[in-house]
Amino acid sequence: MASSEAIHEQALDWAVRTGDPAFTDWAGFTAWLEADPAHAQAYDAISASVAEGAELLRVAGPANDISASHEPVSQAPVSSRRRWLGGVLAASVALVVGVGLWQRERADLYEIATAPGEIRTLTMRDGTSIALSGQTTIELDHNDPRRARLKHGEALFTVRYDADAPFRVAVGEDRLVDIGTVFDVRLDRQGMSVAVSEGAVQFNPDAQNVRIDPGQRLSHDIATDRYVLSAVAVGQVGEWRQGRLTFEQASLERVASDLTRVTGIPFSAGAPGGKPASISGSVLIAPIRKDPQAIGDLLGLEVIRTADGWSLAPL
Amino acid sequence: MSVTDPSSSSGLESALLTYREQLLRFLRARGAGDAAEDILQEVWIRITTSNLGPVASPLAYLHTVANAVMVDRYRSVRQAEKRERDWADVHTGEGEVSSEPSAERQLTATQEAAKVLAMLDSLGPRVAAIFRRHRVDGLPQKAVAAELGVSLSTVEGDLRTAYRALAEWKARADGEER
Repeated sequence: MASSEAIHEQALDWAVRTGDPAFTDWAGFTAWLEADPAHAQAYDAISASVAEGAELLRVAGPANDISASHEPVSQAPVSSRRRWLGGVLAASVALVVGVGLWQRERADLYEIATAPGEIRTLTMRDGTSIALSGQTTIELDHNDPRRARLKHGEALFTVRYDADAPFRVAVGEDRLVDIGTVFDVRLDRQGMSVAVSEGAVQFNPDAQNVRIDPGQRLSHDIATDRYVLSAVAVGQVGEWRQGRLTFEQASLERVASDLTRVTGIPFSAGAPGGKPASISGSVLIAPIRKDPQAIGDLLGLEVIRTADGWSLAPL
Repeated sequence: MSVTDPSSSSGLESALLTYREQLLRFLRARGAGDAAEDILQEVWIRITTSNLGPVASPLAYLHTVANAVMVDRYRSVRQAEKRERDWADVHTGEGEVSSEPSAERQLTATQEAAKVLAMLDSLGPRVAAIFRRHRVDGLPQKAVAAELGVSLSTVEGDLRTAYRALAEWKARADGEER
């Protein structure tokens, strides 16, 4: 039997390895546990301590919502990595002690990504909230909480208005400036869309400079490279958060992409080259998550099982 | 629909049936004893009530959930023991009442959080950042390595350092209470 120190060392290794979602050697882990009941005890003690430590940090506040830094502004510049690391730690400390030093300087970017089917809401320091749909990546700036870049997916912004510091969102090549707003932004392979339910958004102030009002959707279709302003029911803006999706004369690709994002189940648009479909309808997400085939009856589509998911085709 | 669909709960259900014995064996090795069957039921409930995306490997996923259930059980048993100790202390007149007002508990948690942060800080900024990105923000170890521009083994080594310190912190905290 190994000494308790040796067991502790082995248990540390297993705790690190099993904590990663990529870990697969559960048979090896089982064999180690079976070798000595003390192994499970040592592993539990470490895992519980780590879980408790992580929970305390989580309660203290996510580092991505705050960007205070302990570094005095006058300090000599440090490398960007040091700054990033310092920022993360300083941010946590600042929240715990309740001290926030504002600092406007170079961008200090970080990314938040959601898995398919995962919905996550970020609350920013200024009270702005950003709900991320599944399969979505957003880039934020520790040094400027009024800036975001949607890299992929869909997000609903509920922005705390500040005339002196308008909230700016970059979406692909497009720029949005909010004018006190709730708005939904989507970016995927089909293109970009911005829908406003409250307030207004100024679209590409340096180019088109279009104002998007509540009940309007501005979209850019990659296939046609055209910007189109259309009407949207205010209640439908960001309704994926309430577990619903509404399509109006949507393409199969649009339906497949939106469904995949919110359900986490891979849908694809089948039969390329077929006549373009125009799909309208409103569906609840939960039943589709349980039974992907249910979408067929709801939207009048054929749903075919494929090797890696479900393919949609017009009936 | 097909029962082999790995991205739905029905796919996981069939995996759970297929790998039932293997999972029970894992739970027993984890210290579940006679409760292994009940705990497997708990694993299933947890899976059906969670917001689940596609699962690459159902077997690994089922183990991950089973492992998490076991860690949670361990923690709740320890907390119950602690409450019982506190209760006994009150009755022998040696300690504080355990049901503190929640504001006070919150303060205690804040102070503990500050302690954990200071401790992680003392291990170096990289260790603290890696721990936070992996355990608090939930990034896979490979993604943390890529983000910080270090190797996967550096991430593993730093996590090990952080875990060791947290285990010592917890052992100390429990010792102080007694």
